[in-house]
Amino acid sequence: MRAKSWQACAAAAVLSLGSSRLSAHHSFGAEYDGSAPVTVTGVVTRIEWTNPHAFIYLDVSDKDGKVASWKFEGYPPGVLQRLGWKRDRTMKIGDRITIFGWRARDGSNWAHSREITLPSGEKMMFGPPAGTGDGGSTPAVEVR
Amino acid sequence: MIRERTAALGRVLALAASVSMAPGPAPAQWITYPAKNVPRKPDGSVDLEAPPRRLADGRIDLAGFWVPSSGVKYLLNLAADYKPEDIPLQPWARALYNERIENNGKDHPGVRCWPSGIPEKDNIPDGLKLLQLPDEIVLLHESRTIYRQIFTDGRPLPINPQPAWMGYSVGRWEGDTLVVETIGQNGRTWLDMRGLPGTEALRVIERFTRRSIGHMDLDVTIDDPKAYTRPWSVKLGWNLLPDAELIESICEENNKDLPHMVGK
Repeated sequence: MRAKSWQACAAAAVLSLGSSRLSAHHSFGAEYDGSAPVTVTGVVTRIEWTNPHAFIYLDVSDKDGKVASWKFEGYPPGVLQRLGWKRDRTMKIGDRITIFGWRARDGSNWAHSREITLPSGEKMMFGPPAGTGDGGSTPAVEVR
Repeated sequence: MIRERTAALGRVLALAASVSMAPGPAPAQWITYPAKNVPRKPDGSVDLEAPPRRLADGRIDLAGFWVPSSGVKYLLNLAADYKPEDIPLQPWARALYNERIENNGKDHPGVRCWPSGIPEKDNIPDGLKLLQLPDEIVLLHESRTIYRQIFTDGRPLPINPQPAWMGYSVGRWEGDTLVVETIGQNGRTWLDMRGLPGTEALRVIERFTRRSIGHMDLDVTIDDPKAYTRPWSVKLGWNLLPDAELIESICEENNKDLPHMVGK
């Protein structure tokens, strides 16, 4: 058995399942609005690599230079690792990144992440596709 | 599934080329590790289509790292294959179910890091490791880092037990199918994230049949006379995640969602 082939095949099997993972922790639709997509670019100020969700904190500047703090929720660390994220290497404090996700229903600067564009331009999924909380009968907005 | 893996393999190779070039020590986390005692193809991959193995006691080996075959379909809605009006809910249970749907499931127990019951736990996408011992099956669930025991030593179900989040389970073999009966759940769990109710009267029958190395059929019957007018069944399934390993997942360590669960 070639040593690297099982790794590639196992990782491929994991990745093929990654897109179907959803938060098993709570209902997406009760907290986030799948019809309210948001794309934010900012500087990473904090990363919490924790269960039940990882969190990324961004400082986001508007055109007048005013800075707002945003917080994005993502997959738990186990899922992130299986998707290829390296805890201390893939993304760091000070990185300028772009996050696509969906806004919290309570109007705060809080959102659920989906896709992150890293400084290199590479895109990786940090959170699940939007659920709706009603069993998936209303499709969410996927915007790039 | 094969096409998905082929496409995913391309993404893996591209990702590995970019990420692995970063400086620093190689990660030592056991995300994947080659399993022993599984049939492999000449290229080293697990032969998922091979027939299941039989153990020395003659039983089919159910062991493996399993994830739901249908993704999160039945976690979101256990009755996804039913028209809503055909789910045999008692009137009070239908009213509760509709209220939970209206609120987008904001009060699902998971938001407080409370465990899922059976059968919702069968549909958690994080996966589980099934260990098969002579007298019991042990399910090590990655989500919540919680275990479940299914006793196959012939013991009867307990009478009037202390209610438990995942109840009490015993299993017996019918040919190559393991039939598991679970009672004693605490009535605080939902059957899915949409909000199907379950009470302390809930009795769940799960029929596990391993079709191949890579697939397990899981036929589930819900029998809860307090919440439903008759028993009803769903066909679930698991796929093997080759060479996967459990990763600890403690929900309570940084749970921030509860204050934001406004519902709608």
